[in-house]
Amino acid sequence: MHIETTDVTRTYGDVTALDGLSLSIPSGSTFGLLGTNGAGKTTLFRLLIGHETPDSGTVRIGDTTVSAAGPEIRERVGYLPERAGFPAELTAREVLAVTGRVRDLSDVDSRVASVLDTVGLAGDADRPVEGFSNGMRRRLGLATALLPDPDVLLLDEPTAGLDPLGVVAFHRIVEDVSERTDATVLVCSHALAEVERLCDRVAILNDGQLLAAGELAKLTAGTSGLEETFEAVVTGDGQPGDEQSAAERPEASEAQRPPDTAPAEREEGAP
Amino acid sequence: MTEPQSGPQKEPQSDGGTPVTSASIVDAEGDSTAVSGLVGQVALATRQVGSLAATEVRLGLRRRWAVILVGLFAAFGMLVLTFAGSAPGTAGFERTAASLAMLAVYVVPLAALAYGYDAVVGPAESGWLEVLSALPVTRTRILAGTTLGRGVVLVGGVALGFLIPGGILVSEYGPSTVPALATLLLAAAALGLAFLAVAVALSTLVREKTHALGAALLAWVWFVLVHDLLALGVVAAFDLSEGAVTALVLANPTSVYRVLVLGELGAGGTGGFASIVSAAGLSSGLLAVALAAWVAVPLAAAALLVRWRGTIAAT
Repeated sequence: MHIETTDVTRTYGDVTALDGLSLSIPSGSTFGLLGTNGAGKTTLFRLLIGHETPDSGTVRIGDTTVSAAGPEIRERVGYLPERAGFPAELTAREVLAVTGRVRDLSDVDSRVASVLDTVGLAGDADRPVEGFSNGMRRRLGLATALLPDPDVLLLDEPTAGLDPLGVVAFHRIVEDVSERTDATVLVCSHALAEVERLCDRVAILNDGQLLAAGELAKLTAGTSGLEETFEAVVTGDGQPGDEQSAAERPEASEAQRPPDTAPAEREEGAP
Repeated sequence: MTEPQSGPQKEPQSDGGTPVTSASIVDAEGDSTAVSGLVGQVALATRQVGSLAATEVRLGLRRRWAVILVGLFAAFGMLVLTFAGSAPGTAGFERTAASLAMLAVYVVPLAALAYGYDAVVGPAESGWLEVLSALPVTRTRILAGTTLGRGVVLVGGVALGFLIPGGILVSEYGPSTVPALATLLLAAAALGLAFLAVAVALSTLVREKTHALGAALLAWVWFVLVHDLLALGVVAAFDLSEGAVTALVLANPTSVYRVLVLGELGAGGTGGFASIVSAAGLSSGLLAVALAAWVAVPLAAAALLVRWRGTIAAT
């Protein structure tokens, strides 16, 4: 499902979390959202799930304007918050069952069994969460997000605090989900290697403004990788070389329009 | 995520009686759609709140809160029976029941505040609230489900805990004491719910569990200890009107409870500030409504606070 923000601004007192953000995320893509602390990534996620409303501009998921939709927008959106936690006394199956019932899903039990299998927790389904490792908790969080078979999957710092094996296991699950489903996956992460591995498109935010957006391959062309690109884009000093500046500028200007939309299409009134 | 669709328009029809206009058909269909939509929303809200409440009850049982509450009330109740002795006749029953009622004034609010202080801030700290907030459910319904579940556990604990000393009293003084004990039990449960509501409201205000616990303890000190003494002093020092005295009573759920229960037991003289106002013309009905308001108003405030807070998940 296509996601689009148009000239979105969100402020908290004197702090501008998002400043005229226009971004288009094509349906079915795996999109990485990069930025320094306070860049506006989490604010964008909160706008996407309707926890916040923009001061100006619009946020749309598919044909629906999020701010007008109410909590129903979250029926087709799976969200793994950065700080997801669970009551220690509940089992993984119980956690998923209650989220499924609150979602008013049909066939909750079979969905729960299926999603537990997807995230590799089938063998631990009836263990209390208090005995889970960080990696298992994150996978349980991912399972709660996958339970409704979402059209849009939002992952906020999905592997923060995980050991390397936990990160690898988590990445495999996300890759598997991306391949098997048509879900649009939006990954917000500080781990550049993670975004490089999982995502086919990337946006770089800084101080609430979009600095660059586009296909990962184009954005990193002429550089050693995303790390180099990110540093050059955020610092704005053209480091580490002229190739980077040349590679990034077209993308940065592309960010002013939806990156996956050709100019001709926009002239025809495409979103 | 489909946009609401208006119902299909039909051609004007006539049943041979009153002419039916196109506008009236559209209006009727619109009303019908609106009603069925409202019914659907209410049914969904009920299922969501019920699921969250059931989870809260399960957590209350697994965290031993149910056992703790039953044990607490049963133990203190038995203690009261032991020290109250077994004086024969109505006077003996009234004295013992009044002691039980006074015990409830101290223990029930403390238990309710201790059980409810982390209702919102606890899950917010752990991240569970953020998981729930990612679901298609309003913050108000999350709050309602959490509070309902905790209310069930609390009332269950109060009821089972007081049933043991209550049963002993009935066996000793006869079945004629059942109505008075039932009043005591119901009022104690309402008192517990009132303080649970206060605890939930406080829990929506703060960012840390420790702050919520401190606020809950201060609330207990104010309502259970300070307010009653202060009101007693004010009444003794000033020539207050009956309305002012009534307001002083209604401003504190424990005072309402004292006047209600001790009045019903005919033991108003043992109720501190309540003894002063026991003859102030406050009917049992008004007192019961006041206790209900002490449940409803803090919960309404909590519902507003949760929305005002912007997000009940920590930001």
